[in-house]
Amino acid sequence: MARYEKVLNMLMDFDENIRLAIISDTDGKILVSSKRDSVNLQVPIAETKRALKRESDDWIDRCKSADRVPLGEPLYHITSFDKSKRITLPIDAFHMLFISIDNTPMKNTKKKSYGRMVEMGKLLSIVDFVNTFE
Amino acid sequence: MDKDEKMLHMLMDFDPTIRFAAIVDKTGTIEIYSQRDGLKNLVPFDETKQTLKRALHAWDENTRVKSFIGNGKYSIASYKKIKRITVPLGSGRMLFCTLNNEPMKKGIFSNKKSYGHLADMGKILSIVDFIKEQK
Repeated sequence: MARYEKVLNMLMDFDENIRLAIISDTDGKILVSSKRDSVNLQVPIAETKRALKRESDDWIDRCKSADRVPLGEPLYHITSFDKSKRITLPIDAFHMLFISIDNTPMKNTKKKSYGRMVEMGKLLSIVDFVNTFE
Repeated sequence: MDKDEKMLHMLMDFDPTIRFAAIVDKTGTIEIYSQRDGLKNLVPFDETKQTLKRALHAWDENTRVKSFIGNGKYSIASYKKIKRITVPLGSGRMLFCTLNNEPMKKGIFSNKKSYGHLADMGKILSIVDFIKEQK
């Protein structure tokens, strides 16, 4: 469990737009979570739990699919909404990382905004770093 | 050329890494598609159909949180070799694209692990919006 806490702490420290980070099991059950102190949850926890369960099921399908056809290693899944981005990735064989990131447009945007960019390379390298050294 | 066909043409012209683009209806049936010449299908069609159904179900579920975090804009499922992008088009229809995600050749000075190409979602969404606004 310490490894998971370390991942969540590093992610929260790295990106201040991360509002909520969760590690869940294959049933979508929350094992560890970290919420930024200064923010309120946008989505009721019951809806987030429902999303965790669906995403876990989807990841099982995606991993099976990657075994059948040459897609390569499954890396991550992003769903972007007007105000939030939801990111999930398999952190090991039985656990999933879920991250909710603020996606509200910057104030100075003149053109229509399609949301903020997420540095997936950095997020994945944090997960890899912790997995390598623990 | 109708609007859907135009959208697929514009997407294929804009981004050479797009291998396959399709528009599907709310049942997951492909209405129209475009595949880049000279590329072999990595994924059998049956497998793609399963992916489409899963994506449609996810977008259906995502409407539950609309009042909290707004409309869904797009989703990206990234694998080492490909990225799958879906964009809801309204009335249960959906744009589905497969992009090449193979790492660029390693630079002389860089041995870093690659996590794949960046998908220019702003451009892809602006093409979708441009076509939607056409009469």
